[in-house]
Amino acid sequence: MTRASNAIRRTEATHMQALAILTIQSAERLLKALEEYLDHSEASYALIIDRGGAILSQLGEIPPSVDVMTLSALAAGSFAATRELALRVGEAEFTALHQQGKNSQILICSIQDEAMLLTVFGPKTTLGLVRFYSARAVKQISTVLDRARGESRIPIDLGHEVTSGLRDVFHEPTLRK
Amino acid sequence: MSIINYVNKEIQFKIVYYGPALCGKTTNLTYIHSQVAEAHKGELVSLATAADRTLFFDFLPLNAVVVKGFKTKFQLYTVPGQVIYNATRQLVLRSVDGVVFVADSQWDKMEENIESFKNLEENLVRQSTSLDQIPYVLQYNKRDLGNPAPVHYLDFVLNNRSVRVPSFVGIATSGQGVFATLNAISRLLLQKFARENETASAKQQAAPTATAPASTALSGIAAAAARR
Repeated sequence: MTRASNAIRRTEATHMQALAILTIQSAERLLKALEEYLDHSEASYALIIDRGGAILSQLGEIPPSVDVMTLSALAAGSFAATRELALRVGEAEFTALHQQGKNSQILICSIQDEAMLLTVFGPKTTLGLVRFYSARAVKQISTVLDRARGESRIPIDLGHEVTSGLRDVFHEPTLRK
Repeated sequence: MSIINYVNKEIQFKIVYYGPALCGKTTNLTYIHSQVAEAHKGELVSLATAADRTLFFDFLPLNAVVVKGFKTKFQLYTVPGQVIYNATRQLVLRSVDGVVFVADSQWDKMEENIESFKNLEENLVRQSTSLDQIPYVLQYNKRDLGNPAPVHYLDFVLNNRSVRVPSFVGIATSGQGVFATLNAISRLLLQKFARENETASAKQQAAPTATAPASTALSGIAAAAARR
């Protein structure tokens, strides 16, 4: 399966705190930026996540064993902690956070005040290359997010069921028998 | 604010379990994790010290009901209760949609409960929000221990804002009250979400020009869905 077809499968069109809305068009622009970034940097996969840990977009060869929601929550926590460290040594923010393991490395870059670019890469590429192309990707993604801020919210009608007293949200068969 | 994934038709909510040290926040999540079927839950991640005290947060992603074709996903977090970890609590509260305040029912923990509740209010203010804007419920936990304060007293102390919120008695170690609490906050979040969308819809109907980007976006959704 090509990255382009993966792109559609993995599209994440989301609505983040500081944005009015991320429409499908904005989501596709984010995916395009990620696709270009992964092609150049040869990283394994990348996620755009908001500072609260929610996923805005994701692309690449994500192993089935990786729970991206947990990955995002941990990355957001880790980056937030790093930011607090930066403040305590007189920096506004450390713009990037790098973690190196035996086979995999993670680079987290700040995108404006609201989002982060999380990149996972292996021995196929180098930190220098990933850092170089991530700077460009961050600029592109910032532009997309700026544009997305001007877009309108799409109302979703959840209907009567919700407004007039919903049944239990966690009910059979959500629970174990 | 809730996160909407239009392509996968998902809505994500972030719920934070807040409360003083050792009140049972992590125990709530552990019990929920033990009861929810595999298909509806992710891994329970605990960033804890060697002594099992929460150092950063616990995290549990859950999938819940499908409403009007939208899957609802709830991300449950706990904060570290110990006083020294306030900076961490502020980080975990970022982008929170709803709060479960877990109080320890023991008489001698009342001061800690009140301090923690005040701390929650202060930390929300730092995020430019407040308990007037964020749905929350209360759980009076540890009812099984020796010296619990009466529920009406806990209500008097903790549930005394202008609008009273749902409160539940709990024994999280055995699961009592755990799902009642979770269902209550989840329902409140969905209801708030539905109300906000009704308002947005009414505004768009009142101002026809504002609907253009939305209908364009909806065409995009249909197109993307067709390609999947």
